[in-house]
Parts: sequence; structure tokens; C-alpha cells
Amino acid sequence: MCGVSGILHKNLAAGDGLPSIGDQLIRMLEPLTHRGRDSSGVTIVGERPDGDMIVRIWTESAREAEDVLVRVEETIQRAGGVVCSSRRTEQFLRLVVNFEGEPSELAADLLETPGVALHSIGHTSEVIKDVGTPVAMDQRHSIGGIRGTHGIGHVRMATESRVDVNHAHPFWAYPFPDVSVVHNGQLTNYHKLRRMYEDQGHHFQTGNDSELIAVYLADKLARGEGLDDALQASLNDLDGTFTYLVATRDGLGYAKDQWSAKPLVTMETDDVIAIASEEIALRGVFDQEIDRVEPQKSEVMTWLL
Amino acid sequence: MNSELKRLATPGSEITVLNPNARHNLGVGIFHDCTIRFEGSVGYYAASLLDGPEVIIEGNAGWAVGDNLMNGKITVTKDAGASAGSTMRGGELVIGGDAGARAGISMKGVTLVIGGNAGFLTGFMMQKGRIIICGDAGDAVGDSMYEGTIYVAGEIASLGADATTEEISEDELIDILTVLEAQGITDKRSFTKVVSAKRFYHYDSLERLEKSAL
Repeated sequence: MCGVSGILHKNLAAGDGLPSIGDQLIRMLEPLTHRGRDSSGVTIVGERPDGDMIVRIWTESAREAEDVLVRVEETIQRAGGVVCSSRRTEQFLRLVVNFEGEPSELAADLLETPGVALHSIGHTSEVIKDVGTPVAMDQRHSIGGIRGTHGIGHVRMATESRVDVNHAHPFWAYPFPDVSVVHNGQLTNYHKLRRMYEDQGHHFQTGNDSELIAVYLADKLARGEGLDDALQASLNDLDGTFTYLVATRDGLGYAKDQWSAKPLVTMETDDVIAIASEEIALRGVFDQEIDRVEPQKSEVMTWLL
Repeated sequence: MNSELKRLATPGSEITVLNPNARHNLGVGIFHDCTIRFEGSVGYYAASLLDGPEVIIEGNAGWAVGDNLMNGKITVTKDAGASAGSTMRGGELVIGGDAGARAGISMKGVTLVIGGNAGFLTGFMMQKGRIIICGDAGDAVGDSMYEGTIYVAGEIASLGADATTEEISEDELIDILTVLEAQGITDKRSFTKVVSAKRFYHYDSLERLEKSAL
């Protein structure tokens, strides 16, 4: 079991302040904590950093974290980038970078830097994930204060791979900026598809099946497919059980498998679309009784800003 | 909350729960004739394992509302999530709006009414009782059902494995209309009846060699 949530604000006028997506995601995830306490995570999209890109890194050794940060800054500078700002919260590094080259080349350089696990690279998005509950994660990473236009979140009860920070959701689609996924379910053709993508030169950072969905979608988007088409295709290409959400730089979507195996409810108004495993999570952002919709089987919906 | 409900739910009592806020497992395991009203939506497994009470949910219900109902009546005024009335054996469950996937899965008796549309795999492996659907039914209606009957007023997207349709008798129709009338539903006059084709029944326990010896 796992829990997913997502939210997107549709009609934000230029000049308006962005809503606290971090706070809204935590309020939706906290009531889902019974669906998984192993780890938690969010992707928050929409706020422009003071630079071209946000880089999120985790490093295993607390003792060497400061050294890893120095090495990461050196890597970025060697690649021709400029570190605008950097911040370390224990083993978690967050850097804002000016970089004019191909993000995938910077991603590859960073991945080769000793001690680096890349949680995300995004122009306007970042992945924050940790072991433990959403409330504990919020306390440690001050997620509530992060603003944006949309985001996705996850609580995990592990089934397919180990429990650690890197195997928490969301999974960012290395090396594609701003594409990440949260997933409830199990893919049964994971190894087959992973081998296929590895033959094409893709790299996987974890042994988790959900990372494959992120890479699968990002690969299609990079080939010019629309978000809706990519999600529709996944209904046939992915085997097993899945309800997943994807966040891109300008979009949010969900796909639900042919067995209707994993739960999902949605609530849409003129201004906002909220999606979650259970109605109790939607009530985290809607004070009043709601007319939620329960998608059935083989369903895809996407929203683009 | 459930301990308090259990304490209050004495025979003949009337209890109202305000602001249930879609929380899970509300009002389970109550065995007396009493009335419990939830003013708002409830979460998973609401009004499960009941034997006797009347429960009214003024809002939506999550997955498996009325799970293993033995006796009593449950009314959900809006939509229900997946697996409504799973394994119910007695009593009556009425969903005013739509039901999610697998409503009436493995039900073993009596009546499930769905006022709106029913989802994927409605009546999956049902063994007894009847499901009355006032709206449309999704794919695989009555998949692998053993016994029991599903009546659909609207369109059927597809029948499940080993499900088939048959003529509805006048007595049955009168019976269904009476059930619906009690719920204030009077605009549905004709139904498609779905039953098991029983092609999956293999009760012959003789081995091949034993048969040939006969």
C-alpha cells in the first residue's frame, strides 16, 4: 500500500503570489499516513529560483556531506555553470545554478561526482523526500513554506525495493529536468522494460519499479509526445497494478490501470484540481463536503497550465 | 469515536455524528437495532460488520461501505467507492449515487441498490442476492458470479466472464419496482437481468479414469 496526492492551481494571474503548494501537499499526505510510514516525499513545481535550475542531492555519509557539497560545486563550475546559492540540511543539498548547456550533461557530471545521489534537477521544480512520515519530513525540511503552481506527494509502504531516502517517491526521471512520478502499485514488466531502456542508454539510480514510470514518460515527452498521449500509451506498455501521478514543468496527470486495483479520487473546481488516494486527503485542502469523482479503470487525465 | 458509538448504540437509540470528514472505519461492529446518522462523508469500511442498525450516511462513502453486512439497512446519499457491500449476507444497502468498481463483490444475500451508475466488475463472484442498478453498468458485469441476480436499468458496457442475460418475469419486476419505490425511485420501469451462465460449474468430481470405468 502507498498513498498519492497531487494538486494544481489553474487560474493563477500573473502578479498574484503563488499558493503554498508544500503546505497543501503535506495537509493531503498527513491523513494518508496510514497508507505508508516508510518514507514520504513531494515534488513542488512553479516557483522560479534565482537562477536557471534547482539541483537536489542526497549524500549517504553525514560526515562527508560538507565535502560532497564542495565537490558538487566544483563539478558545476567545471561544467561551465555558476552556483548562485547552496544550502545543506544534514545530508540533503540544495543548489541553485546558472547553466546554459544541456541539463542532461550536467546531470551526468553530477552523477559521476563521488557521494552524489541526484533527487532532482528542474528549472522550476524540486523533489524533497525522506524516510518517515510527511509530518516528520515537513519538520525537517520546512516544506510547508514552499510555493508553486502544482505538485505531487507520496507516502510509501515498501513492497518492491529497499527503504531508504533514495527509494522514497517521487522519482525524478534522470536526466530529464522537471519530470517526476509518484506511484501506488507494482509493475510486473519492470525488469524487461528497464533492460530495454538501459540498452537505449538510459540510466537508473535505484532498483525501484516506480523510477521506470518516470523515465518512460520523460523519454516520450523528450521525443515530442504530449503528456496525455504518453500517459495513454503507458496503460498498454506498463504491466501490473498502478495508480500514478506525474508532475512536469507545466502539467499534472494521473493514470489508473485496467484492473482499477489502486484507489484514486479527484475533486475539480474552476480554480483547482486535487487528486488523492482517499477522500480524507482531499479534505485536507477542502474544508467543506465535496463531490469527489472516483476514476474507474484504464483512465488518464491531464491538466496543463 | 468507535468506542463511543458502541457505548451509545443501545437498542432503540438514535445517534447523529457530525463532521465525519471522510474518516475511516466509522460505525463498525454494532449489533443492536438503533439508528446512526452521519452528517457528511465517511471513509473506508464505514458501517461494516453490522447486525441490526439502520445507518444513514449523508454524503459519500469510501471503499467497502457495508462490508459483511449481516442485518440492518445502510443508506449512502451520494457516491460510494469501490467494493460497496462486499460479502454482505443480509439487510439492505442503498447507494443513492454512483458506485465504484466491484460493488457487491462476493455478496451472499439480500439487496444492494445503486441509484446511479455502477463501475467495473459489479457483482464480481457474487453468490446470492440481488443488485439493482438504476443507471448504467461498467465493464464485466457479473464476472464469475455463481448465483444471484443483477438488474440494470441503463446500458451495460459489457458482461463479465460466464455472465448472461435472461428474460425478467413479471413477479420479479413487481418485486424490484416495490424495492425502488420504497427508496423514492419511480422512474425506472424496465431492466436487463444478468445471471450466471454456469458454464464454469464443474461439480463432477470423478477423475478421468474413474469416468471411463463407469
